[in-house]
Amino acid sequence: MIINKSDIAAFLDSFRDEYRVFAPAVADGVSGYRILTAGSELTWQGLNTQRPPKEVLFPQSERLYSYEIGANGVQISAHYDDRKKVVFGIRPCDARSFHYLDYVFLGQEYQDVYYRKRRENTLLIGMACLEPAKTCFCTSLGGGPFATDGLDLLWVDLGDRYLVQVLTPQGKALVASKPFFSPASEADYRAAAAAEARARAQMLPALDLSRVKPWLDAGFNAPFWERVSEKCIGCAVCTYLCPTCHCFDLSDEAATDRFLAGVRIRTWDTCAFPLFTLHASGHNPRPTGKERFRQRVMHKFCYFVQNWGEAACVGCGRCVVNCPVNLDIREVLAQIAVQDAGAGMGQ
Amino acid sequence: MDKQEVLRATVRKLLQNGQVSLVIGYANGTLPLRTAPVFIRTAEEADLLVWNSLCEYNLANYLPRYANDRIAIVVKGCDARALVGLLQENQVQRDRVYVIGVSCEGVVDRRQVAALVGGREVTAVEESPENIVVRGRGFEKLIPKKEAMFPSCRVCRYGNPVLADITIGDSVAAGEDAFDDIAAFENLPAPEREAYFVREMNKCIRCYACRNACPMCYCKQCFVDASMPQWLSRWVGTADNLFFHLGRALHLAGRCVDCGACARACPVGVDLMKLNRKLIKDARELFGYEAGLDPEGRPLLGTFNPDDPGPFTIRG
Amino acid sequence: MSSNDEPKVIGFLCNWCSYAAADSAGAGRYQYPTGIRIIRVPCSGRVHPFFILSALRRGADAVLTAGCHPGNCHYSTGNLIARRRFAMLKNLLEFTGLEQGRVNLAWMSAADGVTFARVASRVVTQARELGHYQGALRKQSEVPDNG
Repeated sequence: MIINKSDIAAFLDSFRDEYRVFAPAVADGVSGYRILTAGSELTWQGLNTQRPPKEVLFPQSERLYSYEIGANGVQISAHYDDRKKVVFGIRPCDARSFHYLDYVFLGQEYQDVYYRKRRENTLLIGMACLEPAKTCFCTSLGGGPFATDGLDLLWVDLGDRYLVQVLTPQGKALVASKPFFSPASEADYRAAAAAEARARAQMLPALDLSRVKPWLDAGFNAPFWERVSEKCIGCAVCTYLCPTCHCFDLSDEAATDRFLAGVRIRTWDTCAFPLFTLHASGHNPRPTGKERFRQRVMHKFCYFVQNWGEAACVGCGRCVVNCPVNLDIREVLAQIAVQDAGAGMGQ
Repeated sequence: MDKQEVLRATVRKLLQNGQVSLVIGYANGTLPLRTAPVFIRTAEEADLLVWNSLCEYNLANYLPRYANDRIAIVVKGCDARALVGLLQENQVQRDRVYVIGVSCEGVVDRRQVAALVGGREVTAVEESPENIVVRGRGFEKLIPKKEAMFPSCRVCRYGNPVLADITIGDSVAAGEDAFDDIAAFENLPAPEREAYFVREMNKCIRCYACRNACPMCYCKQCFVDASMPQWLSRWVGTADNLFFHLGRALHLAGRCVDCGACARACPVGVDLMKLNRKLIKDARELFGYEAGLDPEGRPLLGTFNPDDPGPFTIRG
Repeated sequence: MSSNDEPKVIGFLCNWCSYAAADSAGAGRYQYPTGIRIIRVPCSGRVHPFFILSALRRGADAVLTAGCHPGNCHYSTGNLIARRRFAMLKNLLEFTGLEQGRVNLAWMSAADGVTFARVASRVVTQARELGHYQGALRKQSEVPDNG
């Protein structure tokens, strides 16, 4: 299908009564997926946002439940968010990240009800990447600038209009319910195909990661880890801005404005901080940056693959662009890919 | 003089004659406009070292980790002052560190460069003494370094390292050392100043890159992780973010050397130097104190003068 | 005025002078407002800037730190350390927009109940005039009102 760019503001406004619309936007100089109150507010020109879209489903700080003790005893209130959402303009790498978060939060045995309620009521309208950055490496991880994983619709910018690829029944229903869409022509499809070829040609060559998992399986004690992350300062930039990182902390807090009330909150946490694995005894199984960086690489490129069959990375490049010391995961993976599998290692 | 060549030769010699087992310096990064900290242990690796206007890190940050080794470190003027601060506070032993000072004319601010090219991706950079040339898809722009200099560098008085075993490079002229930016902000009405900080705090993602990039933040347990008492919540929001930044700034009072490593480490561009420079200005104006100049010096808040000003004291 | 409208002022009083001065004020029946809640510390030098930040964060409308006169500190120099530290804290807080009058420092001697009563009244009155502190440091309720 086709939708004209001149109809976009109206299209976004048409969701107003039923859905909250999230779209890439800048607030206070920082880009992220923000709620649009009017279609005309959509001014985003860039590729990816700085803040990752995981926060639409998994906010950085979230109240799980609160309690108040009063005349009626203990009242506990859970705080779910099951309001309908549309995420508009999400890039293919980011859309794919939800797939990885689903593995974690929507498991066979246990489903995170907070995540599930947000996830069930969310439509994803993707925007293909016509000009990937040199820091994009989605193609190294099975993705691509026009990939469709996880999306309900994929839009391709053809200049004065978008080609709309319908991918799911929800996407189909959405297109059918709005008056802005008309059939696409052969020329439109050819233009989109050409745009995809240009986009792929613009990207740096994909990394060959085929040796990474086997090496990691055997390489936990390899001397490689001694030096590779020496410059890491142990902050949370890579993990907080990563679309697939999902670790969190739970804390209970008493209210500061009333008695006998409080809340349990969930906040993003990071394996980069020493406290992440500090035991109450004082022992820390990951005592230095070396162990913690190894954990990051292992979790994403070894353990996640063992558990779910895929590496927990979508190649969005946020960690590469934002790391304060330019610790580049692509460089680390390339180094791992040429490490000897052999002496000096072993479980 | 090609400072980079002298630097490499110096380091080669240090490693060849075994004076040190490790040299911490700057190498080329994987992205345009970036260098990266590098840890060199053999003379051959000395060729990895670079010196240019993108050497943005305060490498003194890494010193406490290597307290038991004999190491050399490359320092700019501000970095050398941080090293002095660490010496004052007994975090570094002077006889274990060979200080390679390099005179510095300022660091280019990647954020200003990004603003000057309208946020477009930079894919190549070339540097000359006065300018940088940045290139991207369909554009090329020549930027005088003065126009994209990190703000603290514009007024820096300490481009020549105050402490060094060897100093590479000709002496650089001192900047005017003004706090006009702070004075101008002080003159704004209080509600405007508060609104400014609320906006800055709302950007913060509590990644602690600022704290971790700062050489003077070396506590094994930071106040943010204290639970008895718990000073601030893990909740990321204005009040707790402000508590963190005020708390860190106060811990740096009289210790911050205005290197700006924190502001450059911040992924979202929080205006940290506004807070730090205010305290530097007050330390100077109220107490005549300047951090990081005298290794035998005493800390600002660990000393007092019976005549310290107290005009704010209220009376009955 | 309901009790919710009254300002909450936290007073960190040093054991040897200012707390004793508050006692003297009581003994001498000098009136001072109930809005000031007193926390006894061994010395004004014990008052960490975080006490003051924390008080504002958690609902105090103003904070008073009181100690012995400089030169008369029971521990010789605690109040001199406090004075420098307080100067930096007050300047930084007001720089970020905190209204003048919310963080205060005073000196007094042990028998000087009159001064304590006057200082306490002054700080509480200032706080009443400034209104409740709802600035950037104030933590909004952890518990959402809609349950």
